[in-house]
Amino acid sequence: MHFATSFWQRAPSQRPLVVCFCLVSVLTIGCALLSLLIGAGAVDITESWSTLWGQGNEEAHFVIMELRLPRTLVGLVVGIALGISGALMQAVARNPLAEPGLLGVSAGASFAVAAALILGASAATLAMGVAQLGALAGCFFVMIAARLQGQFKDPVRLVLAGAALTSLLTALTSILLMYDQRAADEIRFWVTGSVAGRHLSNLVTVLPYFAIAAAITLYVSKPLASMALGEKVALGLGHNPRTIRYLVMLAVALFAGSATAIAGPIMFVGLVVPFAARALVGPDIRRTMIMCLPIGPLMIIGADILTRMIAQPAEMPLGVLTAMVGAPVLMLIVRAKRLPTLA
Amino acid sequence: MSLSHSSSAQLTPPSGYWLLRSKHMSLLLDRQAIRRNILLSVALLLIGILSLGVGTLSLSPKEVVLALIGQGDSMTQFVVNELRLNRLLAGIYTGAAFSIAGCLMQTVARNRLATPGIIGIDNAAMAFAVASVVGVGIGLAPSAMALTGAASATALAFIIGGGSGTRGYRFIVAGLAIGSVSAAVSQLLLSQVHIDTANEAYPWTVGSLSARPEEQIPWMGWITLVGMVVSIFLCQRFQLMAFSDSVMTALGRTPNRLRFSAVAISVVLTGFAVALAGPVGLVALVGPEMARTFAKHRGLPLVSSALCGAIVMVLADFAGRTLLSPIEIPVGVVTAVVGGPYLLWILIRKPKRSTL
Amino acid sequence: MSLTRNILFSTTSAMLVMSNVALADVTLDTKYGKVTVKDDVKNVVTLHEGALDVMSAINFKVAGSVATRGSDTVSRYLAERQPNIDIVGTARETNLEAVINERPDVILASPSLSQEQYNMLSKIAPTIVPIGSDYSTPFNWKAEARLFGKAVSREADVEKAITAVEERAASIKQKVEQTIPADQRTAYVARWMPQGPMAMSKNLFAGTLLAATGFTAEDGGLIKAGRPHSSILSLENISAIDHDWLFLATLNEDGKAALDAAKDSPAFSRLNVVQKDHVATVDGQVWSSTSGPLAAHVVLDDIERLVDNQ
Repeated sequence: MHFATSFWQRAPSQRPLVVCFCLVSVLTIGCALLSLLIGAGAVDITESWSTLWGQGNEEAHFVIMELRLPRTLVGLVVGIALGISGALMQAVARNPLAEPGLLGVSAGASFAVAAALILGASAATLAMGVAQLGALAGCFFVMIAARLQGQFKDPVRLVLAGAALTSLLTALTSILLMYDQRAADEIRFWVTGSVAGRHLSNLVTVLPYFAIAAAITLYVSKPLASMALGEKVALGLGHNPRTIRYLVMLAVALFAGSATAIAGPIMFVGLVVPFAARALVGPDIRRTMIMCLPIGPLMIIGADILTRMIAQPAEMPLGVLTAMVGAPVLMLIVRAKRLPTLA
Repeated sequence: MSLSHSSSAQLTPPSGYWLLRSKHMSLLLDRQAIRRNILLSVALLLIGILSLGVGTLSLSPKEVVLALIGQGDSMTQFVVNELRLNRLLAGIYTGAAFSIAGCLMQTVARNRLATPGIIGIDNAAMAFAVASVVGVGIGLAPSAMALTGAASATALAFIIGGGSGTRGYRFIVAGLAIGSVSAAVSQLLLSQVHIDTANEAYPWTVGSLSARPEEQIPWMGWITLVGMVVSIFLCQRFQLMAFSDSVMTALGRTPNRLRFSAVAISVVLTGFAVALAGPVGLVALVGPEMARTFAKHRGLPLVSSALCGAIVMVLADFAGRTLLSPIEIPVGVVTAVVGGPYLLWILIRKPKRSTL
Repeated sequence: MSLTRNILFSTTSAMLVMSNVALADVTLDTKYGKVTVKDDVKNVVTLHEGALDVMSAINFKVAGSVATRGSDTVSRYLAERQPNIDIVGTARETNLEAVINERPDVILASPSLSQEQYNMLSKIAPTIVPIGSDYSTPFNWKAEARLFGKAVSREADVEKAITAVEERAASIKQKVEQTIPADQRTAYVARWMPQGPMAMSKNLFAGTLLAATGFTAEDGGLIKAGRPHSSILSLENISAIDHDWLFLATLNEDGKAALDAAKDSPAFSRLNVVQKDHVATVDGQVWSSTSGPLAAHVVLDDIERLVDNQ
């Protein structure tokens, strides 16, 4: 009891990281477990529970191992990727509103998918590389804008730039879809975003990209923290801010691009997750990123569970749900008396 | 009230201005601005005539003139008076309205990207209009729904943002959030219906001037006119928004009230324009920018913005009608293609030290 | 000047009225009320693939139609029959001036045409908008075809085309009854998306034809009122579409690739209907979004092929 009060009374940056991490991880693991237990189908909680302990029939076993487990794993990876990419981007842009999805990754991916559909692909057989490429392009573009505009220390400018790019890409997508009825018909079901029906092979395809991005993230985390103290400090410690920024951009592009390729356009996760992480452990980028590891999956898997429960026997698109959860958080950030500029 | 040149002028107007004085008030007129606006009006007139005359259906100038005065073949009369003239008027009114709205909001936020379309008002209007087309148990016509959507998004943004906030930022970000949610909801709605119905909703997702409800067009004209007159009347005060709040307060203005009125006018104009033409947001970005370039960045060029917006809209619609004829490209798509590269340029260029 | 104009006006309008009286002898019930069409229609513009299908089935050369595939063509199965057709816009945006340019005597539109579009189009020519279906009862494509036939005064030809479809359906039905036991005739139509399948309403065009050929078209009650298809089903509930037969509608030309993609999903490949190889891939555009006698033959081809393979 005494420990609990003193824990919450401390300033976020003073809280012990290990305790926070463990607390949230327990929640995330609980959520992942729940994700195995709850579904839109006939296999209910008690049946799933006994199946997990080796009983239960073949049907329940199939549903849990082949359907719920893969999407939970995909949710885990996508959550981590989106959360970390948000944290990285916000650190390098020094802007708490910088969220890859909101800034053009989603729109870039949608545009690429529309183009592929026009050229004859089909939503069901679409190669993941297409969406990934579009997401990467959108991401890089926003990063260039972020780099150039970052000097202004004006958080809203960047968000506006993202919104502008998004509206441009959306318009270009509608041009593509004007002619072709088939593509117009199919894209409607891609743009809403989902982790349903993804299998592990999808995950394996993008795993190399995640690995590269993770390696870069590990490498830049220390210099990035020193950059928060000012570019001169970073230079003094022997880090070239410019190189660091480029590396971070690459990592963000790989993370967000691959996540979008698997799960479709899912916005606001990169905003909400680092926000929550900072609220828990303060603005230090390393602490924030470590906390993003459990919080990202918590959000995606939690939202995914909700999508299964809301619209049974169908499922609500995940992207719509995260937008509804994320939009209030965006407003919460802005409602703070002063727009927090990151360090 | 008669305005006449003052004969006993103790005051000489600053160079480049005309001074109009009466007993109760005096008015400084920027000569350059007047010259500029006359030129723009002439340009708009010429483009208007061109767009009445040219289209998928080729008509001779004589046929057009005859049709305008109510003579000639009844089909030609229909094409000129009902199709092209209505499109032209709708284009002029909505273009001017979007552009004034954009100019005001950019001034409030001191950011040229902050236009009503980009901050999500268009998206909310789109979501509501789409809901009406796909028939989610709502009996209202799409245009009425678009207006409702724009209004409720704005109200929500104001409530959540807690007023316009410093530089209107809170309002803008709240609008952005609402816009993203609206876009997601529109996508969800479109994925629920038959492709034919989704096609019917298409003009509401991109913005189009084809087959707009005729009875709304004169209304739009009046609203644009009123919005323009009010904002010109307040123009002097709005110009103060370029300075810091303390300067405004020192000059005896309440910064928050000024911002609120600018945002309110901007939103009303956008709401009605979206209800007529759908989300053609980029005009609000390009129109004021053209006007500022012509005005060499002096003051707040509201009239020029309106004229430029109208020109952009009419030209875009003209291009959409004729370029790929017989396929018609909706005006919103044309403005996106033309305004897009410009937008990119704003995004990636090195920011200059300027207020806008 | 104004006097002469008035006289001119009144004479022309009088002539118009007279000509209407002389020829206006076909009146149709449409979504937007009664519409009168003259009985020697020559130029027809269709803004709806279903209408173009009916016109093609009776070999009526249509002057103009909207592009649905790429920028300058109508659906492939119709393009052959309407080689010289003019394009008057896309399915998403009609070019009114191009419509006028065809000098249409009648315009055939889709049931989802909006009131605003209708107001404009009806000033150009009588515009026929079928009442349409809310998917709660089987879609009456025959009534729609008859309406379009009546609009061009070719009811007899349309009736012949419908009878041909009915006869063919009846002959397939016989085959079905011979080869497939009565308790194994339940059929689902679905589209496959990466997230899972969408069940198409049994009351859509293709469903009515399945019923006519002796199958029991089903949608498992998965579809909300007024919707043409279900939301994308959860893979956990995919057994809802697992019955005797499954028609997998793909919008892509390559049906096999789509089937393979679906089979990639373990939930799909373990369905009984897949194990039994009772899955047929069919053209989703014809099966889920159009109607008319020619489309009916395409659907019947698919069904017949399936039955013959048994």
